[in-house]
Amino acid sequence: MPPRARCVSLCETPAALLTMSHQVKGLKEEGLLEGFDLRMAPTFRTALHVPQSLLGPLTFLIVLYAKVPYLECSVLSPTELTSSEAPWTFDFSQSGTFSWAIATRPVHFPAPAGNRLGRRPSSKQAPKAQGTWGRRGAQRSQKECAGDSPSPGAPQRKQTERRRLREELGKQEPSKAEGTSEGRRKRDKRSSFKEQTAPSKKEKEILRKEKLKRQKKPRSSSLASSSSGGESLSEEELARILEQVEEKKKLIATMRSKPWPMAKKLTELREAQEFVEKYEGALGKGKGKRLYACKMLMAKKWVKFKRDFDNFKTQCIPWEMKIKDIESHFGSSVASYFIFLRWMYGVNLVLFGLIFGLVIIPEVLMGMPYGSIPRKTVPRAEEEKAMDFSVLWDFEGYIKYSALFYGYYNNQRTIGWLRYRLPMAYFMVGVSVFGYSLMIVIRSMASNTQGSTGEGESDNFTFSFKMFTSWDYLIGNSETADNKYASITTSFKESIVDEQESNKEENIHLTRFLRVLANFLITCCLCGSGYLIYFVVKRSQQFSKMQNVSWYERNEVEIVMSLLGMFCPPLFETIAALENYHPRTGLKWQLGRIFALFLGNLYTFLLALMDDVHLKLAHEETIKNITHWTLFNYYNSSGWNESVPRPPLHPADVPRGSCWETAVGIEFMRLTVSDMLVTYITILLGDFLRACFVRFMNYCWCWDLEAGFPSYAEFDISGNVLGLIFNQGMIWMGSFYAPGLVGINVLRLLTSMYFQCWAVMSSNVPHERVFKASRSNNFYMGLLLLVLFLSLLPVAYTIMSLPPSFDCGPFSGKNRMYDVLQETIENDFPTFLGKIFAFLANPGLIIPAILLMFLAIYYLNSVSKSLSQANAQLRKKIQALHEVEKSHKSVKGKATARDSGDTLKSSSQNATQLQLTKEETSPPSASQSQAMDKKAQGPGTSNSARGTMLPASGHLPISRPPGVRTDSGHPPSQTHLWSASGKSAQRPPH
Amino acid sequence: MGSRSSHAAVIPDVDSIRRETGFSQASLIRLHHRFRALDRNKKGYLSRIDLQQIGALAVNPLGDRIIESFLPNGSQQVDFPGFVRVLAHFRPVEDEDTDLDPKKPEPLNSRRNKLHYAFQLYDLDRDGKISRHEMLQVLRLMVGVQVTEEQLENIADRTVQEADEDGDGAVSFLEFTKSLEKMDVEQKMSIRILK
Repeated sequence: MPPRARCVSLCETPAALLTMSHQVKGLKEEGLLEGFDLRMAPTFRTALHVPQSLLGPLTFLIVLYAKVPYLECSVLSPTELTSSEAPWTFDFSQSGTFSWAIATRPVHFPAPAGNRLGRRPSSKQAPKAQGTWGRRGAQRSQKECAGDSPSPGAPQRKQTERRRLREELGKQEPSKAEGTSEGRRKRDKRSSFKEQTAPSKKEKEILRKEKLKRQKKPRSSSLASSSSGGESLSEEELARILEQVEEKKKLIATMRSKPWPMAKKLTELREAQEFVEKYEGALGKGKGKRLYACKMLMAKKWVKFKRDFDNFKTQCIPWEMKIKDIESHFGSSVASYFIFLRWMYGVNLVLFGLIFGLVIIPEVLMGMPYGSIPRKTVPRAEEEKAMDFSVLWDFEGYIKYSALFYGYYNNQRTIGWLRYRLPMAYFMVGVSVFGYSLMIVIRSMASNTQGSTGEGESDNFTFSFKMFTSWDYLIGNSETADNKYASITTSFKESIVDEQESNKEENIHLTRFLRVLANFLITCCLCGSGYLIYFVVKRSQQFSKMQNVSWYERNEVEIVMSLLGMFCPPLFETIAALENYHPRTGLKWQLGRIFALFLGNLYTFLLALMDDVHLKLAHEETIKNITHWTLFNYYNSSGWNESVPRPPLHPADVPRGSCWETAVGIEFMRLTVSDMLVTYITILLGDFLRACFVRFMNYCWCWDLEAGFPSYAEFDISGNVLGLIFNQGMIWMGSFYAPGLVGINVLRLLTSMYFQCWAVMSSNVPHERVFKASRSNNFYMGLLLLVLFLSLLPVAYTIMSLPPSFDCGPFSGKNRMYDVLQETIENDFPTFLGKIFAFLANPGLIIPAILLMFLAIYYLNSVSKSLSQANAQLRKKIQALHEVEKSHKSVKGKATARDSGDTLKSSSQNATQLQLTKEETSPPSASQSQAMDKKAQGPGTSNSARGTMLPASGHLPISRPPGVRTDSGHPPSQTHLWSASGKSAQRPPH
Repeated sequence: MGSRSSHAAVIPDVDSIRRETGFSQASLIRLHHRFRALDRNKKGYLSRIDLQQIGALAVNPLGDRIIESFLPNGSQQVDFPGFVRVLAHFRPVEDEDTDLDPKKPEPLNSRRNKLHYAFQLYDLDRDGKISRHEMLQVLRLMVGVQVTEEQLENIADRTVQEADEDGDGAVSFLEFTKSLEKMDVEQKMSIRILK
């Protein structure tokens, strides 16, 4: 393999590029070059070890492929040339002038030192390069600097040069000393980046000396080691970077005194600082290096850790796999229910933590133990059956007198050695349960809306997208692949449905009629069910006054409500089929209707409950008297030894009130449990058994069960979502009177998650018309918010306007439950705070506050409206911009396509790469380079490097490398074009 | 330097591969490892069977097409440079690469080339067009029997109709590009480890 030189050109401007390409074309036509290749610097940087700091955003690299195998060349900026052994220089500046110098360096035939062909010694030439070159035996260099005019004798010189080169080439033995040359080239290249920042004279001198020293060192580089130098730092590289770092430091120190404009100073400073920061650690000896290595290692580790942590986080999302599984088979709408269920579970866990941590556990740990006072003891009359399962199942007996219910709590102001204010805590937790729920629901609604505005714009190309991009190419597991197949199918079906909907043309009058009819029917159903519940509740009130009612009569209300909940939704669905809505709209209607049904049920239930409570409250006064009377009698009865005080009455024997709070709690508890059971039984019977029946009886049945009548059940999204929502409403209402309710609900949600997942996967079939869930999630949330509000009302009512029972619960003895707040403020806060609170509670303040709130709402609303308008306008703008960009791109793309063919042809593999260097960040001024050139003339070097100043016309220099024909000028207009086009360097130069 | 360079030396033509594909030394070495691991009999090239043993390709409906894309022009084997060249399509686009260079051939990991790679997975007969027939075949692979044939045909028709601009009943590369305009191809068709 012929040796290759690595040559980098950093060419920063389009004009320079243009000139350069013309020049290189000239070389090609001469037959010296096989081709050339122009590359973006960043892609090539790593391969060529160019420090990032040298590269601007528009830096180009020109790689030349020479036919002459042993032409060692590297192209550098003039600054480089003076200081290093760079044999070729192309310097293209923005003005269009350029200079170049070439030295062909036969690898194996060291020519005598000073054997340089140069046209005439220029004041700007840099013979200094000889210092290194002479020693190493690569002796030809030739330089022309910008600003000189081409000399008339150039062609002759060129010919001589060419001849000489040919001679040398003829003598060369290709197989020799490749490694050495490669190594040297490497070195050349590296050193070529050394002095990019145009260091001062003194520095330069030092640098040169150091370099010489280094070059004298025995070289042990091999091809392999040099080619892999990009990964680890060699000694030389270290030294080089060290120098650069020093240089930059000096630059930073002297920046103040530099005669530059401020902007330039700032950018320079920033660059230098960045560089120093980046590389200083890498070079420091010993500790610094280790520190740097450590830092790099830590950075890598950190990245890896973050990635792992992200993966871990994804894995930690509970039931994610299950839900994805379901989603792939049943579509996003069914999955949305399970996501909702999961979210609900999270909310309930928080509520559970709140209630258990702040109410139940303190009471159990620090409160008075069971049996110490009447409210914590099972009454004598119930004691016998208190442990029977049938009693416990109804939440009577021991469960009723446990910390799960309101009545168990004592009205002691503080409990335990912590002096924990339990009544206060109970009240605050009750309030914060609602506060937290409200906050979380509203927040998730808001985040849902944000999500929906971000995406979902143009729905063009839906099918193309699905077709071409739906497969996940990272899937390597066949089960996952099956899921993916299913989900692709589902998503296709979803889009088919959407498509059909949008294309549907129908008789609008018929549809309208059918819709009105359907709504009429459903309203009838709702009214009927409302009346039925009313009737049943009335009846149950009669039953409750009677003795020995049967089980059915006792539970009639629950049974009727469950039955209504079971049969009404399917009925609604059947009626809704008339309406012929898109399934997504249909689902919303269905949800709304069932919501109305459930709401009716719930509120009739609540009204009945309220009646009951009022009844109990009416009886309370008499019971209170009885209790007092009993106690009075007990202590004052005769027949006891007066000298010994009587032992207190056993708590079980104390007569007590009905404790309506606990009764309400028990009702909710029962309702929750029965609801859960009904749901599970429905699933088991309606879905699982039906599926089994259809599946197995199909073999011996007279019609096709699977395709025909019973078929498999579909997953009832609306019913399940509403069940969940209303269940949650009951939890919210009941949790104040039954703190244990949330615990039960957590269990319920947990089991129903697994149970329903299993049921769906085992016994349901996907909907016939699968549809995307898109925004129904927020719809669920809206319903939930409504239910939350509705469940807040009765609780707030009871707290604010009903007196608590006199002998049970944390607020017993008070006039109203919220008195606990007042009590705490009066007793535990400084008096002035109490005054402030009293002042704040003044209606004169509250009404203005409410007004202010309305004002704020109005203001925020209008602000959000205007913001969304602005949003829409910005979006339009972006789109317009996007389109403009696109059209630009297409123009560019065409140009690139036209050019790339040419470029490809010209690249060949066994070629010499040339490095063309141009540095834009600190282009050396004429005087600068001159000074450097002079300085670079080290002792022992003859005038071997000659520079010729070139005119600014952009013509090729007269002194040129052998075999290079003069390219007689490119049209200057093109140069103008390039200069004018500025940064848009994408265009080909011709 | 030592161990790395010895690895790098093992790869033939490492420089030209690097130049062509833009891979870093490290990822080339990594890819070479992978290549050798896939090459079970140390043949120096990969055959169709070697590629088929990759799990992800086995379950992929387009797996055969992907393998086909590795094997150029009907030959039954792919050598390391060819292997790397195909993978170079999946090199992430670096920010620095964004401004293009007129002289340089477009890098293999450009958006256009990435898209073209995807395109040829669908273009079974390599005529530069995805016809309705080809689309149906791919659909059948992807969706299977769960959707009726009629629906499949509808989908194929719709897809063609959506993307087809010149009305020739097939999706050309240009139309393909246009239909995936909104797609973040640069990101999606990139493998993070292939720097």
